[in-house]
Amino acid sequence: MSRVTIPIGPQHPLLKEPLSFNITLEGENVIDSVLRLGYVHRGIEKLAQSRSFVQNITLFERVCGICSHIHTTTYCQAVEGLLGLEVPRRGVYIRMLLCELERIHSHLLWLGVLAKNIGLNTVFMYAWRDREIVLDLMEEISGGRVSHAINTIGGVRKDLNQDQMKKLTVGLDELIGRVKDLLRIVKNDRSFKARTRGIGFLSQEDVRRYCVVGPVARASGVGIDLRKDAPYAYYDELSFNVVTMNEGDVWARAMVRIHETTEAIRLCQQMVEKLPSGEISATMKRKVPAGEFISRSEAPRGEVIYFVKSDGSQTPARVKVRTPTLTALITLPQQLRGLQMADVSAVVAGVDLCIACADR
Amino acid sequence: MMIFPGFLFLVALGMLFHWIDRKLIARFEGRIGPPWYQPLADTIKLFAKEDILPIGTNEAFALLLPLTSFATVLTAGYYIFSAFLTSSTSFEGDFIMIVFLLSLPSLLFFLGGWTTSGVYSILGGNRSLLQYFSYEVLFLVTLSGASIASGSWSLQGIRAAQESGLPFVIPQFVGFLLAMAGLIGKLKRSPYDIPKAKSEMIVGPLTEYSGKKLAMWKLTDYVQTVAGIALLVQCYFSGLWTTYSPVGIFTSILLMLGLQFALSVISAIFTRLRIDQLIDLNWRLFIPLSLLQNILIIIL
Repeated sequence: MSRVTIPIGPQHPLLKEPLSFNITLEGENVIDSVLRLGYVHRGIEKLAQSRSFVQNITLFERVCGICSHIHTTTYCQAVEGLLGLEVPRRGVYIRMLLCELERIHSHLLWLGVLAKNIGLNTVFMYAWRDREIVLDLMEEISGGRVSHAINTIGGVRKDLNQDQMKKLTVGLDELIGRVKDLLRIVKNDRSFKARTRGIGFLSQEDVRRYCVVGPVARASGVGIDLRKDAPYAYYDELSFNVVTMNEGDVWARAMVRIHETTEAIRLCQQMVEKLPSGEISATMKRKVPAGEFISRSEAPRGEVIYFVKSDGSQTPARVKVRTPTLTALITLPQQLRGLQMADVSAVVAGVDLCIACADR
Repeated sequence: MMIFPGFLFLVALGMLFHWIDRKLIARFEGRIGPPWYQPLADTIKLFAKEDILPIGTNEAFALLLPLTSFATVLTAGYYIFSAFLTSSTSFEGDFIMIVFLLSLPSLLFFLGGWTTSGVYSILGGNRSLLQYFSYEVLFLVTLSGASIASGSWSLQGIRAAQESGLPFVIPQFVGFLLAMAGLIGKLKRSPYDIPKAKSEMIVGPLTEYSGKKLAMWKLTDYVQTVAGIALLVQCYFSGLWTTYSPVGIFTSILLMLGLQFALSVISAIFTRLRIDQLIDLNWRLFIPLSLLQNILIIIL
């Protein structure tokens, strides 16, 4: 049978962001795939070197269109580390709260994209409708649905009042029920499972070899989660479970993400309960001393690393960002080999690509 | 003839049902859905749009295909809908002709992809052809159950047999469900929308079509839907309540709406099948079941 190469991307209904695949098909079977990246490279790391430490917060908020807050949080942690700045507890809690809300938002969005790609529009609409609740909550707290602009070096810029706390409690309670419904669909729906079970398999060894992180790794039975393994902020004060599955396929990734959403909601509830009183930010010294700092955090897609180097001047000497998507991306050709064309969409959705993060 | 059951009637009814379908699915998904004139507005807009084809496409052929497929479904629709009102258009064997006419658009759909020579069109076309052999066989074999039971190859005969006895949906309930599956395949609706799978094939064979030609394909789809639904109503739900009278027309419309509702529910709750899953399902389960049913009908 003759081989056909079909281009997927840079513009294709399957992809929400520009990425290019050339998939070689024999009949319906995928023989090979070639990845190409770099369509949304914006030179953010270079740009960061010409802006002051504070200005860079705005810049790093734009690394990712979904998990914008975790990027600024990680960056601020790095600069605070350089300064040796102690961030007030309340400020850190508000940061963490937004991080977890963002995780809920990101996972629900992902579920919608997966459902859409396997032709289950109803779940897509449901997941995105439920996501509106969390977006509204984030807007209530920070004033922005996606870009929050709430982080600053030394803490956060906006405080929470009683009214907002009440809205949070109500919203989170409602979300718990909604997520339970979605879990029921993913867990039991036979047509959903028919399209997601047994495809895009990654074994534990693969995960370690490719250094895959985040939900994709946890779905293959590798229980790495920075919030537990190397607690930053005050995650060690809160109780939550690291969800792992052993199947390693797209369905397991869906299950892991939905369970994680529930865990994130529980975390948010705990944070609203335990929210300490006091200041929300510390004053930053103008001059950042020379030195290096590595800051790590658990984004919705896995570990984010920021390396910040200062030479004592107004601007950072080097900022290096390492996002989780890249590790998932390089596993794609292996995951796709031997699958059918129809599974490509499910697998590509399954690893939760964020091309803007990967390209920067 | 022009008004009922001709071109205007069929297109208007097709648009109405298409709107009902979209509205229902929207409500199932928690959306509001389009206003009633949306299909009409879409068609008018498409007719006004510039018509672009890739270089190297045979333009006459690319125009002829959607026109032909539109014409075939109109013809089929004409025969099916006249049977609601009068017996004068029916002749022995018209049933087979209608089923054939309704299956032509799928073949033309494949050719439509082939002729525009885009990679998505060709792959989508291949898929529709693969699918074609499974659901067309299913549809024909299942529907022939109705005609075997009535001992006639004409719509009129099938109706008459049900008016003197039970509607076939009762003795042939499995057959009715299988015919629905066949119809969904024919209409390329979810979960049988493999050739048009948006996340892989863009819109399959229709990817390179635009303007008037795309509008023709869409109209084919609208009319094919109502014609298919009406055919099932005639084959399985006829009886004294659908005789030639205002009440008969009213109940027929109600029955058609009921089937449309079922189709919408099905597309809202299933994922798209993979082509191997579909062929497995059809050849291993559906077609043997429908053959078994036909054998039972012949024996009993």
